[in-house]
Amino acid sequence: MNPDIKTALARRQFLQYGGYGFGSLALQNLLRGEELTNPSGLPYSSPKAKSVIFLFMRGGLSHMESFDPKPALTKYEGKTIEETPHADVLNPEKFKDLRVVVVNDANGKQRTKIYPLQVGSKRYGQSGARISDWFPHIGSCADDISIIRSMWTTDNNHGAQVQFFSGRHMLDPRVPTIGAWIHYGLGSLNDDLPQFIMMGPRYFDKRDGHYLGPAHDAVALKVDPNNPLDFAKPEGNVTAAEQRLGFGLSNQLNRLTAEKFPHDPVLEARIKSYELAYRMQSAVPEIIDFKGESESTKKLYGLDQKETKPFGEQLLAARRFVEKGTRFIQIMHGTGAAGAWDQHSKMKEKHAVNAMQVDRPVAGLIKDLKQRGLLDETIVVFATEFGRTPGSQGSDGRDHHPFGFSVWMAGGGIKGGVVHGATDELGFHATEHPHYVTDVHATIMKQLGLDARKLEVPGQKRIDMDFGEPIEQIIA
Amino acid sequence: MKYRIPYLILTLLSVIGFCLSDSQSAEAKDYLDKVKPVLKERCYACHGALKQKKDLRLDTAQQIIDAGIIKSGELLKRLTASDLEERMPQEGPALHAEEIDAIREWITDGMPVPVDEKPADDPANHWSFQKIERPSLPEGVKEANPIDAFLAAKQQELGLKAQPEAERSLLVRRLYLDLIGLAPTRKQLASDVPFESMVQDLLASPQYGERWARHWMDIWRYSDWYGLGKQVRNSQKHIWHWRDWIVNSVNKDKGYDQMILEMLAGDELEPENPEVVAGTGFLARNYYLFNRTTWLDSTLEHTSKAFLGLTMNCVKCHDHKYDPIEQTDYYNMRAIFEPHQIRLDPIAGVTDFEKDGLPRAFDDHPDAKTQFHIRGNPTTPDASKKVTAGVPAIFASYAPKAKEVELPAYAWAPGARAYVQEDQLSAARLKLDRAQKALEKARLAVASQKNPESVSQGENNSGTVIKDSFDRANPKLWDIVGSGWSYNGGILIQTMPSRDKQFARSKNSHPADFDLALDFRTTGGTTYKSVGIRFDVTDNGKNSHTVYASAYDKGPKVQVSHTHDSKTTYPNARAAYPVKVNEDYKLRVQVRGNLINVLLNDKFLIAYNLPNRNPNGRIELFAFDATADFDSIEVQALSKDIELMKSGTPAQKSKSVDPAEALKLTEARVKEAQIGLRSLEAKIAADNATLLGKGKGDPAVSARLEREHVVELARVGVLTAEAGKLKAAEKTLKTAEAKLKKSDAKYKSLRGSYKALETPEHKEPQYAATYAKTSTGRRLALAQWMISRQNPLTARVAVNHIWLRHFGEPLVESVDDFGLRAPRPEHAELLDYLAAELIESGWSMKHLHELIVTSKAWRRTSSNLNADPATLAKDSNNHFYWRMNSHRMESEVIRDSLLNLAGTLDPKQGGPSVKSNPSVLRRSLYFSRSPKQQVKLLSMFDDADALVCYRRSESIVPQQALALFNSKISIDSSAQVAASLKAEKSDDKFAAQAFELVLCRKPSAAELDACKTFLVRLEEVSPKGPARTRLVHALFNHNDFINIR
Repeated sequence: MNPDIKTALARRQFLQYGGYGFGSLALQNLLRGEELTNPSGLPYSSPKAKSVIFLFMRGGLSHMESFDPKPALTKYEGKTIEETPHADVLNPEKFKDLRVVVVNDANGKQRTKIYPLQVGSKRYGQSGARISDWFPHIGSCADDISIIRSMWTTDNNHGAQVQFFSGRHMLDPRVPTIGAWIHYGLGSLNDDLPQFIMMGPRYFDKRDGHYLGPAHDAVALKVDPNNPLDFAKPEGNVTAAEQRLGFGLSNQLNRLTAEKFPHDPVLEARIKSYELAYRMQSAVPEIIDFKGESESTKKLYGLDQKETKPFGEQLLAARRFVEKGTRFIQIMHGTGAAGAWDQHSKMKEKHAVNAMQVDRPVAGLIKDLKQRGLLDETIVVFATEFGRTPGSQGSDGRDHHPFGFSVWMAGGGIKGGVVHGATDELGFHATEHPHYVTDVHATIMKQLGLDARKLEVPGQKRIDMDFGEPIEQIIA
Repeated sequence: MKYRIPYLILTLLSVIGFCLSDSQSAEAKDYLDKVKPVLKERCYACHGALKQKKDLRLDTAQQIIDAGIIKSGELLKRLTASDLEERMPQEGPALHAEEIDAIREWITDGMPVPVDEKPADDPANHWSFQKIERPSLPEGVKEANPIDAFLAAKQQELGLKAQPEAERSLLVRRLYLDLIGLAPTRKQLASDVPFESMVQDLLASPQYGERWARHWMDIWRYSDWYGLGKQVRNSQKHIWHWRDWIVNSVNKDKGYDQMILEMLAGDELEPENPEVVAGTGFLARNYYLFNRTTWLDSTLEHTSKAFLGLTMNCVKCHDHKYDPIEQTDYYNMRAIFEPHQIRLDPIAGVTDFEKDGLPRAFDDHPDAKTQFHIRGNPTTPDASKKVTAGVPAIFASYAPKAKEVELPAYAWAPGARAYVQEDQLSAARLKLDRAQKALEKARLAVASQKNPESVSQGENNSGTVIKDSFDRANPKLWDIVGSGWSYNGGILIQTMPSRDKQFARSKNSHPADFDLALDFRTTGGTTYKSVGIRFDVTDNGKNSHTVYASAYDKGPKVQVSHTHDSKTTYPNARAAYPVKVNEDYKLRVQVRGNLINVLLNDKFLIAYNLPNRNPNGRIELFAFDATADFDSIEVQALSKDIELMKSGTPAQKSKSVDPAEALKLTEARVKEAQIGLRSLEAKIAADNATLLGKGKGDPAVSARLEREHVVELARVGVLTAEAGKLKAAEKTLKTAEAKLKKSDAKYKSLRGSYKALETPEHKEPQYAATYAKTSTGRRLALAQWMISRQNPLTARVAVNHIWLRHFGEPLVESVDDFGLRAPRPEHAELLDYLAAELIESGWSMKHLHELIVTSKAWRRTSSNLNADPATLAKDSNNHFYWRMNSHRMESEVIRDSLLNLAGTLDPKQGGPSVKSNPSVLRRSLYFSRSPKQQVKLLSMFDDADALVCYRRSESIVPQQALALFNSKISIDSSAQVAASLKAEKSDDKFAAQAFELVLCRKPSAAELDACKTFLVRLEEVSPKGPARTRLVHALFNHNDFINIR
């Protein structure tokens, strides 16, 4: 841990334990469990949401072929951008925010020959939001979601994945991710469960907490009742009864130790963490066991179909965790180093497959949360690191595109049926209400009742861009 | 009470939110509470002690008033200006409305001035910027150890009563964990060696180096290479050489000053000594493929933080807000590193840089210019700013001038090193030798032109497909026989090397003609380290055929053998193959009738006719004298389309069936190898003449022979080209032939090193084989400045790091920032004394360790039990070291100690990093780790973040409990520890012994009772079961096992 945190901790320790003796950094967790990290013990303002399910399409989902269809692309098919009336999108002044990681890399070049839309689109719901035909099920939820069509970021390579969660460019130092901040800032909703969970294939940076400490890293989870999280089951022939007695003895001995080592808060924290571990060990597999779910629910998430099953299971697990009180669940879709959505070629074929894997489960999640009354208190985010170029790469692909792309949010006090912001006619730049990625963080934080600026850790410099501004237009 | 809190303390207090200014008037209090903190945060950097832009200082109320900017209205005007050119502060957003209101209010109140407000001190007077002088010992204190003298003086002054020494067994445990990172064994614990001798022994043991190297690896950001696929993007392959350099340096008690010299400039210091050059792995670790600025930023930031406690990273974009360091200092310092690049130097006996090489730094571009980047942005350089390599101006007075270093040819022409020439020559000779042998065989084949074998009796495909990826135990598929088997993480693992029969035998019989693929790794073993499969296994197991890969040190090979009536014969059906431990292999066995083909990693090795068969037997997986991981197996009927090699076909891939064609190819290969050897000899002769001034080798001859060799290579290329690539191969040959006719051939020196790519567009062969003949000497000068007696930071920072790792708390809280934000520490004299001690002992770390662990302070109990109540009340946080701090073991120490107590720790030291795996029993520092690659068990316990880790965290999370309760290593170690205590007949004695061994103290009556009751209860739930093992297991989960008491 960065020593600077100690200043903050020292403060908290002092506030809460006065003249009591401490000798360890460990206290942060001791405090988090019961007392909450936030010194007041409560969110800063009355929260509208309790939990977050953050879905992330790794590799770069094409905005034009998902939530921001651009008929102009089909109209100008084969022309260069300069040959269309929209040549001004290439004005170098408009690229000044871009920070290039790989100079002259084959990726991230301007692709100026316009590539037509690879899929049709329709208007959905009362709002009439236009969504591509690859996402008919999400389309059927159009009136429950707010589409933001004016996202931008500054990395033209897949470092933008880390950037979407941390707000910082690949070339900057690593800083805590949005999930870590929320974990740090808010107390537990259920002491038997991990509060920050990660499912699916992770990007290259394996940590979330960074200077907040590893206690704020996500707990990696698999939808496998036999082995849902690391070390959830004995890697040896230890029976349940033996284990129960073993836990009992450790706890008993730890308590007896207090006679020899009185006033030791670390010991206290250790005893508590063992109790929690023991409960977690049985609570987590129970949640991942879908026996109690009806067939219709399973179907809603696409568990009946092999293409949709893997993602569907993760989303169903996410709902069950939210139900029982987990704060933040991030679920990544798309394996491979760069992510499955990275269609430099075979755009039509592969985006269609990817979309098929997620469309039904995601819509199922929204509908299920809604029918259970959980959508009001759960924010669902559907995001990707950047969009794809309006121009073609090779004969059948699109390149990375950080200047304008789409995400959507739903639930937890986010309006339904809203299309917010816009890109220009080619889908090139975010023109109306442009939003940097941390605006999504700020929106989440606001709904959870947190003020990011009050979570600052002394000695760790944060810049304005790190905090973002809530997207008020989509907040009910 | 007068307000005499110094500026820096104020910083801290304002953070904590205290207000001590009771005696201040209410209005002055408002100034101190609401105005001054804003000014400090937003204005002092330019208008305070650090800088006085426009001769304006705002760090006291009086100065603000005297400046006249309130009277003139300038202050408020500038704070509220909408024109950004005019608005103050220039950097960042405008002050918030309520902040400006607070200033207004203070003005309206008549600008009350606080009593005794002092301007901030000159930053040059900052405590840590003063030369280290050894302070005299405090008077009136009788303590032999200076640490105790300094601490006792303060304790006396404050009336604090120190706790007594910890009980011996706990002290021994503390000493073992502190110095060698391994919990003491029963014998070590029982030893009556005097404490002081024990200190000596442990400091002299090689495990000491492993323990303390890991600490320094945290600070110096050790990381194995990582990237994408085979592309190295961060750090370097074989960076473990630097890890071994650290371990060895620490073990040899090399001076810390010398270590700094070698890490920053070993290549300039002793260019011909690889053991010294290896230190520059420190620089190689910062390598970053994609962006030179990011690369050098890391180098600068962490060189400054690790050795100097300076936050140079803050001045990349602007002058420092707190410290007297300017943006130009950043670029001057960058210029020190600008010329350097990274390369792999050759290791004797290895010609493939994928296999080994020494990562090191060297000045590749001595003339490289450094540009000043406006706001740190590389796209906006400022040519008007002059950049000169050097250290920050405020510390420059004693900085030595960089002197250019003339390098020996050994350094700038690594290809001309004698051992490199010899290694390459032997490789070329071996190649020729093999080609000639192949040629002989090919000639024989043409001569006989007939089939030496009878093949196949037609297809026989009864039997079952056997397929398993070992995701879980599958008793329907396998009978597992013998000990040491387990399933974990999709791997079937064998952990007990044995020559007894232990195997996994398929319940079903395999197809008679089959195609088997086995993915496995040999993870260790005793002698033969053989891993493989048996087929045609009869139900009684007495008859079978075996194919195995043996990682036997003296002759690794792949072998086919037969077992008939339990007797095994080893026919001449084998292939020498460098089978290695911990490498992934795919063994492929194809059998049709009596003919068997064996391939390893898709390379054809053996074709052989089996003397007899029992088709449709079982399959067995086994490890003989070995430990192994089996990833997956698939046995299916052999496809008709697959043509097998005939018995006697030599190893190597040679798909051409026509002996005449084969002959042509082998002839071409021989010629290629001959010319290759001649070309190499000519090149070496030319190198010797031109680079070393030895002999009369002619570069022109070498140049021509090289072209000839290219032609021969191209000829082989044509003969081996796959369909579809033939045209390209022919074109290559034509070009080569055309070039041969020209007379413009240029001689190129032998390549002896592998330079890390400067950008991803480069290809390594385009770099020259020789390098600059001089080095700028800048890095050496930097290192010499760091270790200069005048340098106030280096020794203080090092002492603080060492102190932290003994006491669990540092003397200076911000271990990587000794700048103005770090207030003078409570124990500044002690710090200085130890810093002087470090320097004057020849920068000996062992000297410091000894001084520390023999002090009373370090030997005190960590318990508050029976502590003086007044002491507890006054200093509950133990700022004055009246007791020891207990702190948690680092993740490595937990794992290593479990293994050590179990007696299973593999003591092997050094060498390449190993992939983590439950069956690898090496010390944890040898695992490959990087930001991309983490070891699950270690990451649960706050292991080092390879990006930055100046101090470990000590979190307490439930996953740790799960890891200690459920991990294989903890379960297995419990059994082994319990077994080691099996001589204890009575449960009572066993419980007491186990408790003492694991926790290093005697149990109280209540504790012993709890253990005994546990044994009884466990016996109830698992009769004749593992009660004792479970007791040890529960003790491993005790808070005081993973804490250092």
